[in-house]
Amino acid sequence: MSISRRKFIGWMSAAGLGATFGKSAHAAANKQFKGYPDSVGVLFDNVLCIGCRNCEAGCNKVNELPPPSQPFDDLSVLAKKRRTSSKAYTVVNRYENTHSKKSPIFRKIQCNHCLEPACASACFVRAFTKTKEGAVVYDASVCVGCRYCMIACPFEIPAYEYDEPLTPRIRKCTMCHPRVIEGKLPGCVEACPTESLTFGKRKDLINIARERIKKFPDRYVDHIYGEHEMGGTNWLYLSGAPYKEIGMREDLGTVPAPELTAGVLGAVPIVVGLWPVLLTGVYAMTKRKEQIAQKEKEQAVFHALQKADAAAQLKLSEALTKAQKEKEVAIQKEVKKALAEVQKVQKEEGS
Amino acid sequence: MKTARPLLRQVGILVAVALFSITGLGAQGVQKLLEGSEEIRADIIPIDSMRVFGRLERPEVVFLHDKHTDAIEKQNKDCQACHQMENNRLVPKFKRLKDTDKQAVMDIYHTNCIGCHKETSATGKKAGPIETCGECHPKKNLLISSRQPISFDHSLHYRHAEANKDQRTNKGDCALCHHEYNEKTKKLFYAKEKEGSCRYCHKKTTEENRSSMKLASHDACIDCHRKKVAVKIESGPVKCMGCHDHEMQKKIEKIEVVPRMERKQPDFVLIRVKTPGPNKEGPSFRMNPAPFNHKAHETYNNTCIVCHHESLQSCVQCHTSEGAKEGKFIKLESAMHLKAKEQSCLGCHETNQRKPECAACHAFLAKDRRPESTTCQLCHMNPLSGVSKNIAQDERQIAEMLLNSRKTKVLTYNAEDIPEKVVIKALSEKYEAVELPHRKIIHTLLNNIKDSKLAGYYHSDQGTICQGCHHNSPVAKKPPNCGSCHGKPFDESNAFRPGLMGAFHQQCMGCHQVLKLVKPTSTGCTDCHKLKRV
Ligand code: SF4
Ligand code: SF4
Repeated sequence: MSISRRKFIGWMSAAGLGATFGKSAHAAANKQFKGYPDSVGVLFDNVLCIGCRNCEAGCNKVNELPPPSQPFDDLSVLAKKRRTSSKAYTVVNRYENTHSKKSPIFRKIQCNHCLEPACASACFVRAFTKTKEGAVVYDASVCVGCRYCMIACPFEIPAYEYDEPLTPRIRKCTMCHPRVIEGKLPGCVEACPTESLTFGKRKDLINIARERIKKFPDRYVDHIYGEHEMGGTNWLYLSGAPYKEIGMREDLGTVPAPELTAGVLGAVPIVVGLWPVLLTGVYAMTKRKEQIAQKEKEQAVFHALQKADAAAQLKLSEALTKAQKEKEVAIQKEVKKALAEVQKVQKEEGS
Repeated sequence: MKTARPLLRQVGILVAVALFSITGLGAQGVQKLLEGSEEIRADIIPIDSMRVFGRLERPEVVFLHDKHTDAIEKQNKDCQACHQMENNRLVPKFKRLKDTDKQAVMDIYHTNCIGCHKETSATGKKAGPIETCGECHPKKNLLISSRQPISFDHSLHYRHAEANKDQRTNKGDCALCHHEYNEKTKKLFYAKEKEGSCRYCHKKTTEENRSSMKLASHDACIDCHRKKVAVKIESGPVKCMGCHDHEMQKKIEKIEVVPRMERKQPDFVLIRVKTPGPNKEGPSFRMNPAPFNHKAHETYNNTCIVCHHESLQSCVQCHTSEGAKEGKFIKLESAMHLKAKEQSCLGCHETNQRKPECAACHAFLAKDRRPESTTCQLCHMNPLSGVSKNIAQDERQIAEMLLNSRKTKVLTYNAEDIPEKVVIKALSEKYEAVELPHRKIIHTLLNNIKDSKLAGYYHSDQGTICQGCHHNSPVAKKPPNCGSCHGKPFDESNAFRPGLMGAFHQQCMGCHQVLKLVKPTSTGCTDCHKLKRV
């Protein structure tokens, strides 16, 4: 495995050039990515969910996961609050219903497949991809095992194979991406007997959710979770109880994670201690760098065409190469510095 | 770049450790919050009298009224230890009649409260704070008010009327509470048969010459109770808890069948849009009017104000057919049909449909649905059917006749026409087919509503009850099976229609939940489905 040079420099340049880069980064980041137009997702309606754990079983089956410690028809596990793990990409938890003791509320947890995923933005080797179908998928072959994605995910989803000594991987729900491409339903959706899980285009799901709220205003909280949270997610939720009562974060805001880190990058002077924050910005930055390069190219063509002046073109390209060189020198300097820093830490630890 | 991976790993782990230790700190704050003790009481009165003079300098005082009343009683003092009298009535303000100026009011509180606390503690008894400001003016209130508003319902009204009857004439003294205000003489007077709810005049806040509901009720109720208690006549509560504590409220005696309150109100009403022009041959109507059983509805509700929210006039006085200022331009049509409003006919009937016995079917009906046009005629009856033109000039008589002609018995098809069992085998891959006790279900539903006049009238057609499950298809003795409409799930062209399996589970389990049926208690599949033997 090797990290491509460009990616690595991208990461390092964040550390070194952040301060000079910050302004344009910030300006470029205030446009929100609204998701791929026809991407699919799942709407989970907890009013319909009966807590039968069929979805867990369905997930286990299609992903060929090891059998659970307690079988899926043992509903006593619902009493405990569980989290997703490297062996269970989805879990169902039970919450007391403060309005009616007799009908508890169930919450299914899995990756939300954010429109602009924090996990991906934290990953400096770009092991995560937001597919055009909507799923956020992971590529173990490039992963360096730093687990920043686990720290970055506001929903605490990615799990690490701690018990895998040689090739530990990050594990999480894939929205059954391979199945979806084949035209099949995600495992959990297919297994749900009550259609608490609705599969469809994200935009249709939002309409369906709105319609349910409109038809049954007494039954639902007037909010579609995931429509805007963290910039929006492909997994959406309808609830019969306030979201915070069922352990769902209501403090996330509507700004996607990469944009948040871009703001931090622009505003804070760079010190080594800020690395984790910085690293979360790398995804956004590599994306932005491409955008900026594209823009620069377009501008160059535009000017060249206008002037149709060979000399001007020459001057322009000279200026561009010069700028590029300066950038590279600066990057290399920062790379060296950072590596030295790491080695120092290593040595100190060793002694 | 071969060395990059282990190196990066090292960085990653270091940073991760640092991050986790930072996030760990949050827990301590939560612990602190949980430590504060909280007491729940119904007699908490926040004293913020200084607010009229501007911003409060210190947090408001959390005053426990009943605690003080009890303490004063023990010292053989009465209300006048704290409250002054004006026009033979207690003034709710503490030791003063009016809020004069800032310093004076503040002094009244400080001198009298602290003075009394000092005196009391000098006698060796437990008393309130003397020195530290924060004890009376706490930064964070740890008490939670459980104060419940009290409803003066028909039963309570009747008991008050009875208790205040003149022994000789055996007539109630309505003037004791009911009054109107004469703008000219600036005096209260009693207007017979104009009595209405206190709230019609006494609003949330005090206005010019009418006190707020809160003030008026405390002023009048407690004063009267207190005077009676003083002469040893059995009377209502004088302490906060007596009226506002949930447990105490439950102890208030309730008359089951309250005799009708007489105020010359009609027994039957014809709700209709007026037709302009003369009508020689009996009444003519723009559209079919709706007869309304006023007398019966009085018993369905606990207060008059439920429907008569602004005054005890008839609805059309304010809600005219085109809308008028008095009725906030809410037309008669809206006033009767707005589902979101408790006062409207449909709004109240809709609330009734949330009762478990109705909700089994009605919970599945969308709130924003339009009623089917055929049901309009159930309320808007043809006024001249069965009424000979020359006898019925009186609208109230017509209303009565129409109401009497109604059938109010729930009906359905003959038992032999209703399949006894329905076997659902559409989805039997893993489980055996399900046998649905079809006829039994219908009988349960019918049995649940057999005593309701409301349900009876609206379900007197044979096929209506079937529509609870066989929705969205025309009424028929043999409606289409579920599979005719519900099929594959997540059909993009029919996004709002569940697939067959979803439809079954939603319908069956939804109904079981509403009816609180024991089976299935838990949600394990094998509670309903027998596993197929392999
Ligand atoms: S929920 Fe977490 S793991 Fe899933 S896409 Fe969003 S940030 Fe990534
Ligand atoms: S399968 Fe469906 S109903 Fe059962 S627990 Fe999962 S989401 Fe809820």
